[in-house]
Amino acid sequence: MATRSQTAAVLLAGALALAACGSGGSSQSPAASGGGGKTLVIDTSFDLKTADPGRTYEPTGLIVGKAVYETLLTFDGADVTKPVPALAESYELSKDGKTLTLKLKKGATFSDGSPVTADDVVFSLTRVRDMKGTPSFLLDGVEVAKTDDSTITLTSKTANPALPYILPNPALGIINSKLAKQHGATEDAQDKAEQYLNSASAGSGPYEIESFNVSSQVTLKANPKYYGTKPAYDKVVIRNVEAATQKLNVQRGDSQVALNLSGDQVTGMPATLQVKKTASANVIFLLANQDSGVSKTTPNAKFVEAVRKGVDYAGLLELAGEGATQAPGVIPSQLLGALPAAAATKRDVAGAKAALAASGLTNPTVKLEYPSELTVNGLSFQPLAERVQANLKEVGITVDLQPAPVTTALDNYRNGKEELGLWYWGPDYPDPSDYLAFLPGKTVGLRAGWKAGAAKEIEAAGAKAAVAIGDDARKAAYEDVQTKLNASGPFIPLIQPSQNIVTAASVTGLEYHPVWTVDVADLGVK
Amino acid sequence: MSDNPGAPDSPPGPGAARRDRAARVHPLARFLIRRILLAVLMAWGITLVTFILTNLVPGDPVAANLGQRALGDPAIVAQWRAEHGLDKPLWQQYVIHLQGLFHGDLGVSQQSHRPVSQDLAEFVPATLELAGAAILVSLLLGVAFGVIAALRRDRAADHVLRLLSLIGISVPTFWLALVAFYVFFYRLQLTPGSGRVDAALGGAAPAVTGLQTVDALLAGRWDVFTSAVGHLATPALVLALYTIGLLTRFTRSAVLEVLGQDYVRAARAKGLPGRTILFRYVLRSALVPVITVAGLAFGSLLSGTVLVEAIFAWPGIGQYAYKSATTLDLPAVMGVGLVVGIVYLVINLIVDVLYGVIDPRVRLQ
Repeated sequence: MATRSQTAAVLLAGALALAACGSGGSSQSPAASGGGGKTLVIDTSFDLKTADPGRTYEPTGLIVGKAVYETLLTFDGADVTKPVPALAESYELSKDGKTLTLKLKKGATFSDGSPVTADDVVFSLTRVRDMKGTPSFLLDGVEVAKTDDSTITLTSKTANPALPYILPNPALGIINSKLAKQHGATEDAQDKAEQYLNSASAGSGPYEIESFNVSSQVTLKANPKYYGTKPAYDKVVIRNVEAATQKLNVQRGDSQVALNLSGDQVTGMPATLQVKKTASANVIFLLANQDSGVSKTTPNAKFVEAVRKGVDYAGLLELAGEGATQAPGVIPSQLLGALPAAAATKRDVAGAKAALAASGLTNPTVKLEYPSELTVNGLSFQPLAERVQANLKEVGITVDLQPAPVTTALDNYRNGKEELGLWYWGPDYPDPSDYLAFLPGKTVGLRAGWKAGAAKEIEAAGAKAAVAIGDDARKAAYEDVQTKLNASGPFIPLIQPSQNIVTAASVTGLEYHPVWTVDVADLGVK
Repeated sequence: MSDNPGAPDSPPGPGAARRDRAARVHPLARFLIRRILLAVLMAWGITLVTFILTNLVPGDPVAANLGQRALGDPAIVAQWRAEHGLDKPLWQQYVIHLQGLFHGDLGVSQQSHRPVSQDLAEFVPATLELAGAAILVSLLLGVAFGVIAALRRDRAADHVLRLLSLIGISVPTFWLALVAFYVFFYRLQLTPGSGRVDAALGGAAPAVTGLQTVDALLAGRWDVFTSAVGHLATPALVLALYTIGLLTRFTRSAVLEVLGQDYVRAARAKGLPGRTILFRYVLRSALVPVITVAGLAFGSLLSGTVLVEAIFAWPGIGQYAYKSATTLDLPAVMGVGLVVGIVYLVINLIVDVLYGVIDPRVRLQ
């Protein structure tokens, strides 16, 4: 009776299925053919807010900023121990460390063809400092002035030996001041240029913004007016993709770079792909609150010692996978002044039990707060917290896990209300001075309830390090600060997770960079 | 009775005029007007509920949006609060929010620093395209399968289709999405990867409707169109599977019920052709419950897209909602809440109207 309509329905279903498969199969990504289309596809989990260099402070934004804007100084490849010229051809720090003089390179042009001038530099840097965006602190107390058409001086009130290490930050990219001013850029908090800078570029970098979307995709195209070496790819697509999908995409050839794979995900990758495993510059640490109003347990120095000796660092490294390293101090291994690996704390359960007995606490219970859904380099905080809980159980400390979403957890952390906290710190700029934040009365110190004056000896060591000039003196000073922090501070540095970058065989020249992750203009085609 | 001023011979009062006018309005139109007025009232309710819920969330939007160092400067914090209207009492914030809505202004997103309406205009079409394709496939396949199963009751085809629908209903969509992505994209290399079109084609067809497939056709870009359809196929089918299962089951039971009715037996006894009976008698009556289910299913499709969008890197409202919620971007969260609520309202309205069109009895109630 109904055979005809039945047949029709079945045919329709079949046709639909065929149409779906057929059209899918026919659309192979041109990018998959490697260098042919000269399009590079980078998959990453977006952490992106803006393309305005003066407001950029998120990892994905820094990748974009590095490609579109040039800074006065930069770093060569992955070496962050020595700033090298970029828009400035040379620099000189005065003996007292207060004045940095930079000579501008000749012939640099913006993407509209106009020359990069000293006025553009002064405007860009002053704008970043005074409009009070997230990266403003980079230039706190730094006066920017033009001496002549090719000389810029940066003057700080106190010795600022970190300045040459700060200047390569893409947030300090030089913008075309004339163009930016036409679109609302000012040197104060009234600046309205962000929306313009999110859709167009006003930089002198090798790439320009073709399209920009904070939640899904950023497309860059080669800047035809770029005066330096032309980049290898005409187009770079940066897509927001979950880590699990990133893995399949790069294996299938749908993308050429995957930035956020965990140690587990990169094991067993086919030989056709290149896997770069480097310890990232993020340091994951525990903090024990020193404020007796927050906890009766954690301010006890012997208790902190018990935790420090009780954690199984090797076990945590297993969780983090290959490429991860134990953090001997709060300063990550890439930076000047990092402690040598041999200085790292070893697990000592007996010592931990002895310290706990000496603390006078019996069967202490502490709350460990951490961001539940945050991952750092593909590593989730949840298993780390569970492992710490198990480690400390063996010592006789009961840890009560208190996970919370990042936005909620951050409130308690920033207000210094966590009894025990599990967090990480990534360098704002690759200079050890950034880690003075861990001292009493400073940003991270206060989060651990550590007020100014709480540890005079450590503070004195920090003050000495801050004004030390010259690599050797600085190295010694920062090592001293960390040794003291490890001996009696409230922080327990745990690990530097591995940054795993997977690229197609066709991609050359990839280096992991602690500030901007990857410089897309450095990537080549094999 | 004749002393009564309201008697039939006296001039009709205002009440009578109203009754008269009402009588002149077509019952379907009256039904429509009532439903639309109700929908407007509901839309206002949605704004109130999203506003209250959004502001109940723990966590400080200032801390989530300003950098760590800027937070240390009370002047900047105060300026930010003032700029985003957070220094005003809650009820005033709501009034401002409502006033903005009347002007089509949903506020400015704190994460993208663009008007929320502009963000939504970018992300909503992507989700509608995905969910729309899914519901279209579900309706075609689900109803067809249901009819086949009913007509072939207790025979092999029926058993197979019922089993398939059970699987469709039981399998979690996000898991299916992962498996489908792995199998079709990675293993079999049949389907293209993440996103709405191939990375190199992005932006090749200018956005007119925001629906990638339609825009590609409008621009005459066949390559973009095939790429868009290819990218759409797997996520849409994955999303559709649950609804197909649901619709198969509902259509089957609805058709079976109608088939047992006297008027169908009478029609059959009269010797009407099978096709006429199926389309004019059986399907027409069976469609009413099917439409209800389809309407509800579209709603669940929208929420189902959140995870599917994440797996296929589909730049839709799900990803935007997730990012807005995790960064405490309150204007964006309210915008998403409002849009999703209104989509539900519109679907319910369409379902109600379709009832009225299909079954005249409904209009009179």
